[in-house]
Amino acid sequence: MGTSVQMTPLCGVYSENPLCYLLSIDGFNFLMDCGWNDLFDPNLLQPLSRVSSKVDAVLLSHPDILHLGALPYAMKHLGLTAPVYATEPVYRLGLLTMYDHYLSRRECSDFDLFSLDDIDAVFQNVTRLTYSQNYHLTDKGEGIVIAPHVAGHLLGGTVWKITKDGEDVIYAVDFNHRKERHLNGTVLESFVRPAVLITDAFNALNNQLYKRQRDQEFIDAILKALNADGNVLLPVDTAGRALELILILEHYWSQQHLSFPIYFLTNVATSTIDYVKSFLEWMSDSIAKSFEHTRDNAFLLRHVNLIINRDEFEKTAEIPKVVLASMDSLEVGFSHDIFVEWATDARNLVLFTQKGQFGTLARMLQVDPPPKAVKVTLSKRVPLVGDELIAYEEEQNRIKKEAALKASLSREEELKASHGSDTNAPDPMEVDASTSYVSSGSGLRSAGHLDVFIDGFTPSTSVFPMFPFFETTAEWDDYGEVINPDDYIIKEEDRDQASMQGDLDIKIEEGSARLLLDLTPSKVASTELTVQVKCGLTYMDFEGRSDGRSVKSIIAHVAPLKLVLVHGSAEATEHLKQHCAKHVCPHVYAPQIEETIDVTSDLCAYKVQLSERLMSNVLLKKLGDYEIAWVDGEVGKTDDMLTLLPLPSAPLPHKSVLIGDLKLADFKQFLASQGVQVEFAAGALRCGEHITLRKISDASQKGGSGPQQILIEGPLTEEYYKIRKYLYSQFYLL
Amino acid sequence: MASAMTAPGSVLKRKDSMASAPVREGDQLIVTPLGAGNEVGRSCVYMSYRGKTVLFDCGIHPAYSGMAALPYFDEIDPSTIDVLLVTHFHLDHAASLPYFLEKTTFKGRVFMTHATKAIYKLLLSDYVKVSKVSVEDMLYDEQDILRSMDKIEVIDFHQTLEVNGIRFWCYTAGHVLGAAMFMVDIAGVRILYTGDYSREEDRHLRAAEIPQFSPDICIIESTYGVQLHQPRVIREKRFTDVIHSTISQGGRVLIPAFALGRAQELLLILDEYWSNHPELHNIPIYYASPLAKRCMAVYQTYINAMNERIRNQFANSNPFDFKYISPLKSIENFDDIGPSVVMASPSGLQSGLSRQLFDKWCSDKKNACVIPGYVVEGTLAKTIINEPKEVTLMNGLTAPLNMQVYYISFSAHADFAQTSAFLNELMPPNIILVHGEANEMGRLKQKLITQFSDKNTKILSPKNCQSVEMYFTSEKMAKTIGRLADKTPEVGETVSGLLVKKGFTYQIMAPDDLHVFSQLSTANITQRISIPYSGAFSVIKHRLKQIYESVEAPIEEPDVPTLIVHDRVTIRQESENYLTMRWSSDPIGDMVSDSVVAVILNISREGPKVTAVAEVEKTQEETAKMAHKVVYSLLVSLFGDVKVVEEGKLIVTVDGNVARLDEKNGEVECDNDSLKERVKTAFHRIQSAVRPIPLSAA
Repeated sequence: MGTSVQMTPLCGVYSENPLCYLLSIDGFNFLMDCGWNDLFDPNLLQPLSRVSSKVDAVLLSHPDILHLGALPYAMKHLGLTAPVYATEPVYRLGLLTMYDHYLSRRECSDFDLFSLDDIDAVFQNVTRLTYSQNYHLTDKGEGIVIAPHVAGHLLGGTVWKITKDGEDVIYAVDFNHRKERHLNGTVLESFVRPAVLITDAFNALNNQLYKRQRDQEFIDAILKALNADGNVLLPVDTAGRALELILILEHYWSQQHLSFPIYFLTNVATSTIDYVKSFLEWMSDSIAKSFEHTRDNAFLLRHVNLIINRDEFEKTAEIPKVVLASMDSLEVGFSHDIFVEWATDARNLVLFTQKGQFGTLARMLQVDPPPKAVKVTLSKRVPLVGDELIAYEEEQNRIKKEAALKASLSREEELKASHGSDTNAPDPMEVDASTSYVSSGSGLRSAGHLDVFIDGFTPSTSVFPMFPFFETTAEWDDYGEVINPDDYIIKEEDRDQASMQGDLDIKIEEGSARLLLDLTPSKVASTELTVQVKCGLTYMDFEGRSDGRSVKSIIAHVAPLKLVLVHGSAEATEHLKQHCAKHVCPHVYAPQIEETIDVTSDLCAYKVQLSERLMSNVLLKKLGDYEIAWVDGEVGKTDDMLTLLPLPSAPLPHKSVLIGDLKLADFKQFLASQGVQVEFAAGALRCGEHITLRKISDASQKGGSGPQQILIEGPLTEEYYKIRKYLYSQFYLL
Repeated sequence: MASAMTAPGSVLKRKDSMASAPVREGDQLIVTPLGAGNEVGRSCVYMSYRGKTVLFDCGIHPAYSGMAALPYFDEIDPSTIDVLLVTHFHLDHAASLPYFLEKTTFKGRVFMTHATKAIYKLLLSDYVKVSKVSVEDMLYDEQDILRSMDKIEVIDFHQTLEVNGIRFWCYTAGHVLGAAMFMVDIAGVRILYTGDYSREEDRHLRAAEIPQFSPDICIIESTYGVQLHQPRVIREKRFTDVIHSTISQGGRVLIPAFALGRAQELLLILDEYWSNHPELHNIPIYYASPLAKRCMAVYQTYINAMNERIRNQFANSNPFDFKYISPLKSIENFDDIGPSVVMASPSGLQSGLSRQLFDKWCSDKKNACVIPGYVVEGTLAKTIINEPKEVTLMNGLTAPLNMQVYYISFSAHADFAQTSAFLNELMPPNIILVHGEANEMGRLKQKLITQFSDKNTKILSPKNCQSVEMYFTSEKMAKTIGRLADKTPEVGETVSGLLVKKGFTYQIMAPDDLHVFSQLSTANITQRISIPYSGAFSVIKHRLKQIYESVEAPIEEPDVPTLIVHDRVTIRQESENYLTMRWSSDPIGDMVSDSVVAVILNISREGPKVTAVAEVEKTQEETAKMAHKVVYSLLVSLFGDVKVVEEGKLIVTVDGNVARLDEKNGEVECDNDSLKERVKTAFHRIQSAVRPIPLSAA
């Protein structure tokens, strides 16, 4: 029987929400991506929280928020503990992306869903793989092999192939078949007939311009704004598509000797480029080749300046410039601030290269016609001064006091409880509590503890009114005092913490370091304001995803036995579903959130050994990559293995099989080359004078029903037999 | 009339049967060292199994020049090689590659790691330039190297690739940057080729990994034989001490080192030592190789192929940005005024800058020469290790050798402890030793034989061009899938379907499932032909009935007169002037239709002459008798001595072996199995030839 495969979307179906899917293969639960949106809305993670403890492994496909953003939160708050697998760039750039988001958020709000330490802790956990590395899972996943393959789209982007018992499940979201400046196209097309293909419908309805034309329009738009004394803002992601844009700009700037400054402004810009420089193995062939030949690293940037904080940016000259700033959603980050500043000037241009996430400022600005004005919140972290600072300190003190009071109270309660039932031997827990109580009590004589005295003397129901006193009773047995081994264990956590600190090998630039180490009390000052949008707004598709037409042809080529569609607007999903059901395979699924679908292949299979005696009589015919022959054998058994032996008697004649895929257009050319008059007429091929050749039902129904039906008809002539001979020559007969 | 179905594959078929013939004998695995067999240098190992051929490495022998330095390529046919795998960039592993790619008939694919490829180009261009001085007959030029770059493909560590049914991937080897050990899997038989490897982590490289799968054959280097390395710390201390004492006595230190690889490690050591010893800051360290600067970009880029230490350092600054070491272009630019440390290539002191400096310094006893790695037999460096009294200079004069010579090995090759532990972990049933000087290799072989004496491990050390043959009977397993596998069959049932082979995997499936499980698709061709005919339809029916057993009218009454011959060919009288005939293509259908056409055309020609002729019924008996006669005479023609014993029983005697054949059921009794099989097969074939073709095919 086939491998059991179930899939449950947790987020990101019938919408452009982040991607997160539970894929269970023979009981082993993979979490495919763990995305969040730029708004960090915990509601989106509801379904994940219900299954997170069951997850056995997390596979990440791209280093952006939509694919891995929720990982720190899920690990910290939702009980996700599984090992994570990703490619080296996804690991590294994903980490940088999370830093950037955290720092941007932190700059303008009291962001507390996760901390930098949480991010580090998560990424500690990542097992890094290379493309086409077959990684054999162990223990529970015994027999499952996972392998990342090139996806295009983002650096390190992955199409996951999960194999068990020779059946492939392929998870391919956000792939790009086109070769780009810094990336190779996906290898998805090289997979044939997987049992299950999970892919997205994100671009099912979009079609793209030609690359050259698009690049030209992109540069033209930028130059137009610059020449008109305007600034250009490109809201970009931290370490994803930004890289491609940087290369395009670099290329045109050197080609046309332009002198307008370009700035790449994210919290981690320098680290990003440093690391990207060492990821040449993961980039396109042309980049690798140019390095091999001339040792020119494509990311040794000549025109793009890297900036990591606002102050430095403020210092740049007041001349027309191009700024690539994170985030692409314009919700937070440098791009947000710069947008607010520049939006009011009609000379400026905001050029979107990605479709904004739903509900973000970027998306609002991308509608046609663009809004005249938008409401934005301008927030800034400012250190506290004067009264506020005093108030803050008082507040802090109060909080401390309260906490202490609460702690002592709870301790009191505990004591009461334990003493109330003092027939019980004191358990180690209590010993702990008492010692800490004593130490803290003696160390600090704080107000909180004074309360304890008063509290202790108030008559209560179960305790005699006396000073709270208790014996530290030690339990003895034949060997002496009973000890609790836990007391002597060095806390694992502390050590982890230490090692984590040591491993924090990312250069935290001054800007972020300031934020990290800054312990001076600060607050977030927000001002609501309405920005008149006068600047130019343009959207150009530089998302680096295959467009609708290509997606369809790729799926048709891959021809999965079962197809699951996720991530795409409802219309796009529905459209692709209809299309694929008609042209690709009958089993197309597009499940709803938390709807579990069973995509277990209904394949039956068993293994037989081919005996030498049988094989010595088999003549294999070569057909492209395949070799093929007809076998007739009798089933025998040797040591629990089925063996195929030659038949004792002559086999019954079998129905002959014609193998081959006839393309009428190709056949037409072939006939023409053979000197036969040939033309298409009304869907049929007219060969010579009278012979017509037609396909009865279209053969593009690959996964569909049965063989091609070809009809050849004509009068009884020499020509008929000649054409038939040519036709037969296109097939192999078995 | 056109012949029915000229089998389109007939020519192909013959060729294929020839091609598939060696597959029978394919269980034989051959390993032949074309170089590096009982020697160090020109690594090149040929391997072939099941018609797939892999070549590991493609080096030159540094002690020879010109054609003599090449591996024995003429032993093989380069055009048959499917894949060439290069483990690392050293000359003795990669330097004959441009020659092999550009000057031979090789047309397979070449793979190496990213770092290896990048350095390969720099190194070989340098090699070509250097050898211009000493070698007249160049093997290749700069252009050949550039062209070879286009043919070389890259592979990343652990990445699994498949070419032509050969699956392979590589592990970190720890020898130099980008060095790899290749694991090749052909039809389930795994071969590990270690190349040069080291199990010791050093300043910038990871230790060689231990593969998770044990190979069936391990082709392993034996450079250091049974020697043991000193611990790294001690070696480093000796190295720095020697240098420190020499320069403090006012001497000069020459380190002849190979331009790339260990040199980087030594520079890391020196740079660190200098930064810890401020008193040395005025002593210059030179790296006298233009490659130094050029390869730095490569070392900076492929940090992912290095160890964690370097990767962590990289986060702060580039560890290969040396503070106390400066490059030296040539001896002309060298201001030899006082103590200095110069690292220069080549490592063997054959020629070039290291030799020039050696000639200059060798007679002063204050100076020192530190040989930091393995030196190849036949080079000057090897000679001076034995501290001869005199040496021959480049200009042919002899000079006294007074300088101190130290041999402190930093070469990242495994020593005996590492080799033995590595093999112990892997437990390969076959070990082939290469890349080692004959005596050293012999000692290692003896020691390994003792170590694995109870494990039935074969340990071989073939000489160059000496083939090692092994046999692997890997069972062919097929997976029956789809409709054919609806239920698992019981013993004795028959399975009949398409056997589809891709690479080394076999699948059996029903023809209808072919398009589901492979990229191949099947087709049905329906033919419809119109034949002019104006006679009566019943005449056709009559004539066909004379020929065919089954000539029926269709069950449901059609609008026009219709006949169906043997459920295959449908004949309809569309109008008074013509008939149409429709059938679906296959050899039998085509044959039937051809005869029907012949009949119809005959009728048209003969016209009304046709009358019913009384059929002469041949009796069953006569037919049987006839068949018997034919069978008998055919058997005689095949076996010679055939006797009829009684009704339906035949005795065949061949070389004294007697076989009894029962003609009715085809049973053969015979003591000799092969004769029995042959008679049986012959009889079946005769039977199928004599009997009419059954029309009711599946």
